[in-house]
Amino acid sequence: MGDWRAVADFDRESILALDNIRLELPVANIGSRCLAGVIDSCAVAVLLVLWLLFCSVLALWVSGAWGLAAGVAGVFLVEWGYFAGMEIATGGRTLGKMALRLRAVSTAGAEAGAGSLLVRNLVRDVDYLAGVPLMAADPLARRLGDRLAGTLVVHEGRAPAVLLGRVPPGWSAREVAIVESFLLRAAELRDAAARDELARRLLARVERDAPELLAGLGRPTTEGPVGMLRLALAAEER
Amino acid sequence: MDYARFLRLRRPLWEDFGRRLASLGQMRETGGRRRRRGRRRPAVPGYGEVEELAFAYRQVLHDHALAATRFPGTGAARQLAALALAGTHRLTRRSAPWRGLRHFVFHAFPAAFQRQLGLLGLAAAVFGGSCLLGLVLAAVQPGLGNLLLGPRAVAGLAEGRLWTESLTTTVPPAVASSGIAANNLSVALAAWGGGVLAGVVPLYMLVLNGLLLGGVIGIALRYSMAGELLSFVAAHGPLELTLVMVAAAAGLALGRALVQAGDLPRAEAMRRAGHDSLQVVLGCLPWFVVLAVVEARISPDPSVPVAFKAALGLGLVLLFFGAGLAPSRAGDDADAGSS
Repeated sequence: MGDWRAVADFDRESILALDNIRLELPVANIGSRCLAGVIDSCAVAVLLVLWLLFCSVLALWVSGAWGLAAGVAGVFLVEWGYFAGMEIATGGRTLGKMALRLRAVSTAGAEAGAGSLLVRNLVRDVDYLAGVPLMAADPLARRLGDRLAGTLVVHEGRAPAVLLGRVPPGWSAREVAIVESFLLRAAELRDAAARDELARRLLARVERDAPELLAGLGRPTTEGPVGMLRLALAAEER
Repeated sequence: MDYARFLRLRRPLWEDFGRRLASLGQMRETGGRRRRRGRRRPAVPGYGEVEELAFAYRQVLHDHALAATRFPGTGAARQLAALALAGTHRLTRRSAPWRGLRHFVFHAFPAAFQRQLGLLGLAAAVFGGSCLLGLVLAAVQPGLGNLLLGPRAVAGLAEGRLWTESLTTTVPPAVASSGIAANNLSVALAAWGGGVLAGVVPLYMLVLNGLLLGGVIGIALRYSMAGELLSFVAAHGPLELTLVMVAAAAGLALGRALVQAGDLPRAEAMRRAGHDSLQVVLGCLPWFVVLAVVEARISPDPSVPVAFKAALGLGLVLLFFGAGLAPSRAGDDADAGSS
C-alpha cells in the first residue's frame, strides 16, 4: 500500500489521508529552510570550537597524541553526524528547525525513519552546491537529499486562530474568515484609529445583518469597538 | 449547517482528539525514558484507546474535509487542517522502522551487498583498468614520479627509503589511526553521496585512485622498491581497496537509478536505490575503523613479518566478503524497496 501511494503522491503539495481525504502540507519554503541551515551551521561551529577546546585541554593535561586523535575523530563526527544524529534523536528536527518550528517528515506526512534521515543528510555536500536552486524550483522546496530520502520539511505546531461562536445569518465563509483574521491581528495593529474604524465598519455590518447580536450587549464596553465585535460574535482565541 | 453550529457541535471532539494526541506523545516520551532506564515494559496505549483514537482521527479528517469545502479560510478550517496533519504524523506508520543491529548485520547488509555485486564487479574493472594505465604511464613517463610523489619522495626512493617512513615515524599511531579513519570514511561517504550526480563522482574516484596506485607501484618498480611498498600495504591495502570499490559501487547504484530508472519515476527509483546502497555503505563504516588501526599500527611496524601482514590483509578481506555474502533471510528485498 505504501508504494503506490508514494508514487501517486509524487510532486504534489498535498497527501491523501484515510478515506482519500486530501491534506494540504504546510511546506517550509526556501527562506525558512536556509535560515534554519544558518542556525545549524552556527551550532556546528560552536560544537567544533567547544570540542577543540576540550581536546586542547586533553592534549595539555593527558597526552598530546590522544588529544589530537580525539580532535580529528570529533571533528569528523560533528561534521558528518550532527544533522543526521539530531534528526534521528528528535524525530526530524535539528536546533535550527526547532528554532523555526520545522520538521522533516516522510512524503506521506508520517515520521521519517532513521534510514531516510541518514540518506537526506549524508548527501549534504552535494546539496551545498545544488540544494538552493533545487529548492527554489520545486513547489515542495525539496533539495536533493529530500528527493533521495522521500522526505519533506514542513512547518509544525498549531497556529493560533480566532473562532466565532455566533455568525450573522447569510454570512459566507469569506466574511467569517475576514472577521476572524481581523480579530486575530487586532492586538498587533499599531494604528489604533484605523483599527477602531475597521471594527466599527464590521459592527455596522453585524448590526445590519443581525441586530439582535448587538442588542444584548447594552452600552459600549471599555475595550472599544474591537471588544464589542468580539462580544457580539462570541469570538474566542484558541 | 452554519459555521457557529458546526463549531458548537464538533469542537469538543477536536479538543478531545488534541488532548489524546498530546497524551500519546507524552506516553512515547515516558516509554523512551523507561527503556533507557532498563525497564522492558513499553508505554503503549491499550487496544480500546487505540480504537477510540482511530475513530476520533477519522472524525477529525471528515470534519477537516467539510470545513475545507464549506468554510475555507476560516479559523476552524485552519485548525482542523493542523489537527488532521498532526494526527496523520503521529498515527501513520514510520517509513522504515529500525529493526535492530543484529538484523542489520546478519540480514539487511548481506542482502543489500549481494544486490550490488554486479556494480562491484564494474567498479573493480574500472579500478583495475585505471591501475594498469597508471602502471604503463609510470613505465613510459619517468617524470610521473615527481608529479605524483614530489621530488623529495623520489629522491628518497633513489636512496632506498619509502616516503611512507617519514609519515609513520613523525605522526603518533593514535593520531594516524584517527586521521586515516576520518579520511577514509569521508572519501567513502563522498563517493556514495556523489553518486547522485549520475555516478560521475564515484567513477572519478575509482579512476583517480586506480591511476595513483598504478603510478605509485610503477615508480616503486623503477627504483626496485616495489617489494618494500607491497610489504607496507600488505596488511591494510586489500581491505582498503575493497572498501573503496564497494563504496564507489554504492554510489554507482545511485547514479544508475538516475540514468536508468526503468518503469518508476526517476525520483522514486533514486529513493529506493538510496536506501539500498546506504545499507551497504553503513555496513562498510566499522571496517574503516578496523582498517585505520591496522594501517597505523601494524603496516608501518618493521618487526611484524611480511607473511603475517599478507595473511592479515587477506583474512580481513575474506572476513568482509564473508559478512557480505552470508546467506540472508528471504524477503529482505522488501527492506530496500518499501522503506
